[in-house]
Amino acid sequence: MNKPIDIIVTETSTLIFEGLSAIINNSGIPSRIIRAITIDETVKYMFTNMPYTIICSPSLIQNRQKQFSEIKNEYPNSKWIALIYNWFDPDLTSQFDAAINLTDSPEKIISIINQVSISGANYDAGVKGDILSDREIDVLKLLAAGLSNKEIGDKLSISANTVITHRKNITQKTGIKSAQGLTIYAVVKKLIRLENLH
Amino acid sequence: MFKSSNTYLNPQLNISDIVLENPRMFLMLEHFNINVPLDEKTVYEICTENNIDAELFLTIANLYRDVTFTPVVQFNYDKVLSIISFLKKSHHYYISEIYPEISEIIKQMYAVNRNEEISLVEKFFNDYFDEVVEHLEYEDKVAFPYMMRLFEQIENHNPYKQASAYSVNDYKDHHNDIEEKLADLKNLLIKYLPRGNDQKARRKLYLSLHELEHDLTIHAIIEEVVLIPLVANMENQLRKISEQAN
Repeated sequence: MNKPIDIIVTETSTLIFEGLSAIINNSGIPSRIIRAITIDETVKYMFTNMPYTIICSPSLIQNRQKQFSEIKNEYPNSKWIALIYNWFDPDLTSQFDAAINLTDSPEKIISIINQVSISGANYDAGVKGDILSDREIDVLKLLAAGLSNKEIGDKLSISANTVITHRKNITQKTGIKSAQGLTIYAVVKKLIRLENLH
Repeated sequence: MFKSSNTYLNPQLNISDIVLENPRMFLMLEHFNINVPLDEKTVYEICTENNIDAELFLTIANLYRDVTFTPVVQFNYDKVLSIISFLKKSHHYYISEIYPEISEIIKQMYAVNRNEEISLVEKFFNDYFDEVVEHLEYEDKVAFPYMMRLFEQIENHNPYKQASAYSVNDYKDHHNDIEEKLADLKNLLIKYLPRGNDQKARRKLYLSLHELEHDLTIHAIIEEVVLIPLVANMENQLRKISEQAN
């Protein structure tokens, strides 16, 4: 199945958002469009290793460039397109992977999005299918045993943040988020035995 | 939130057409305390009859048709009682109807598919149900009464009783994603739980989970996008009244 491109449009103007969505929807490129208002909200919709195409005005990262480069590091497979509707410092716009001007034709906008975006289908860097990595299974087992993220980290000699990343990836693969739900998954997959449950 | 193209509702439409086009509207009407038959009445007429603000009604109706609909109206404080009444009615539906129904279906599933995993799902769901009840009771007993007091104070132009340390920020903090575990259940059900002679129960369960998830999603949007800004505004209004009085 051809996986759609996940596009996040971070834009306060409904007019611009609706216009851009219409252009993308009418172009026929398979896509899912999510709207966010702020960068913080944008990040909430993103999983670490998944590819996203984020379209936003450079003004949103003005004065927050340190945070922006941290986000880019944390989401290495995502691409950022600047949506330019007034003059911005080239230093700012150069941090984006591409730029769309408000006056660009629909064809040009689509071609820019197509060039930059990685669709889920072309993407096979680890997070794919239902098969958990050995490390993720370690985390899952301890989680099912009732340990907290910190306790799991101590046991496996990794940081609590790394545990959270593993958990995010487990959730992405299984669709299950809660510890209790993941425990049931672990029992189904015979990773743990029922009598060992807390 | 995902976007799809859609035209939005207006007050001149026949309410029965809206319900016939989308069965979910039936439940929404119940939350508004509106029952069928609807005859040939328009949205406007039914709202007037039931003392509901048409704009509020349409905002919520548009959400039921399309969860990506973005409510733009900033409602006046006098709408707060209708919103709370809608939310309370929804709570009643969750607690006394749909959650017990789902719980019953899971029991049926276990009756025909006696797998340890299904019994774990039963426990998972019952624990989750307890959490939900606790959350909804908190809203009914703490958050909503607070908002109703604010309403009375504004109505009576009386800021002097503002003794409560509670504020809309506490409500925001207490707000969690109660629909999250439904997604877990759906995934377990569709992808992982060992097969048994339980296809029929599974289908019913899946549909019920969907129905509940949809209603809870809209419930949360109403709280976050409509109610919270409205109450924050009421708090500001009261602060101003009290400043003027001093």
